[in-house]
Amino acid sequence: MESTATTALADLVRRAQKGDENAQRDIIVAYQHRVAGFVYAMTNRSDYVEDLSQQIFIKMVRAIDRLQAPAQFESWLFRLARNTCIDQLRRQKLRRIFLPFGEEHENIAEPPGAVGTEELDALRHALEQLRPQDRALLALVQEGRSHAEIAETLDTTVAAVKARLHRAREHLREHYQPDHEN
Amino acid sequence: MPENTFANTTNRTMKTEDQAWRDLHAHAAAQLRPGFADRTLRAALGPNEATWDQLSAQASRELRPGFAERVLRIARAAAEVPSLTSQFALSAATAAVCLAAVILVQDRSAKLADERNLADWERIVLVAQDAQDFDSI
Repeated sequence: MESTATTALADLVRRAQKGDENAQRDIIVAYQHRVAGFVYAMTNRSDYVEDLSQQIFIKMVRAIDRLQAPAQFESWLFRLARNTCIDQLRRQKLRRIFLPFGEEHENIAEPPGAVGTEELDALRHALEQLRPQDRALLALVQEGRSHAEIAETLDTTVAAVKARLHRAREHLREHYQPDHEN
Repeated sequence: MPENTFANTTNRTMKTEDQAWRDLHAHAAAQLRPGFADRTLRAALGPNEATWDQLSAQASRELRPGFAERVLRIARAAAEVPSLTSQFALSAATAAVCLAAVILVQDRSAKLADERNLADWERIVLVAQDAQDFDSI
């Protein structure tokens, strides 16, 4: 069953690589929610979700013909997503350094309860305490990426991924207090 | 009678101590807000799948309808604008063609000038030889 799905996805990707716009649209529709979730986990900003997701998919459309192995599409897409989010966070950090008084509304996290339940607030709060690299690691695992795929994405070894993942989970648990606002 | 008094006193003391322990426990328990067990478990286990799903659902709601169409439209528009690399390649090719044309024209005009000069010299030589022949006669 899974191999059928993988084959279907690979076919879809091949069609998209040939410039078939329907295939490109189908891929975007199929992955937009997952990519949006990944972006939100990485940035903790709901106002970034649409813009960054759009950037990620535009990059995908423009670069998909260079993807060598259509079967590796998901890993490749989430690598694009990770790099785009990390670039955005870096730019944001630089902006804060060079324009400390510019755009004061920037980087104000949504108040607890503004967007969801106590658990969701707690998860967002805990994710915000982690380094972007660790957030990416947890979000990639949440996306169902295997350790080997993550190792390839991050250009490291499986053992290193396991160790970093263990630490990231520990940190997340440390900061995950569903009633943290109290 | 004194035995009874001792027993009563002991009993009362024990009761007081028990009561004190009970009060201590009650006070400590009162410090825990409702849902303590659930909270502790959640903190110990970390966020569960449902919470991660909530995060994804929340993010999905941020995407306005027609997201895929918008992405494709922007990607198409971006593809129509030549990239920096292709613009640079076109400039380089134009410069190379111009340079080749200049070299070609320069080479051709130099050759024509050489031929013209050579013809002039040959004519001068012929005139000089004619003059010399005439002098010798």
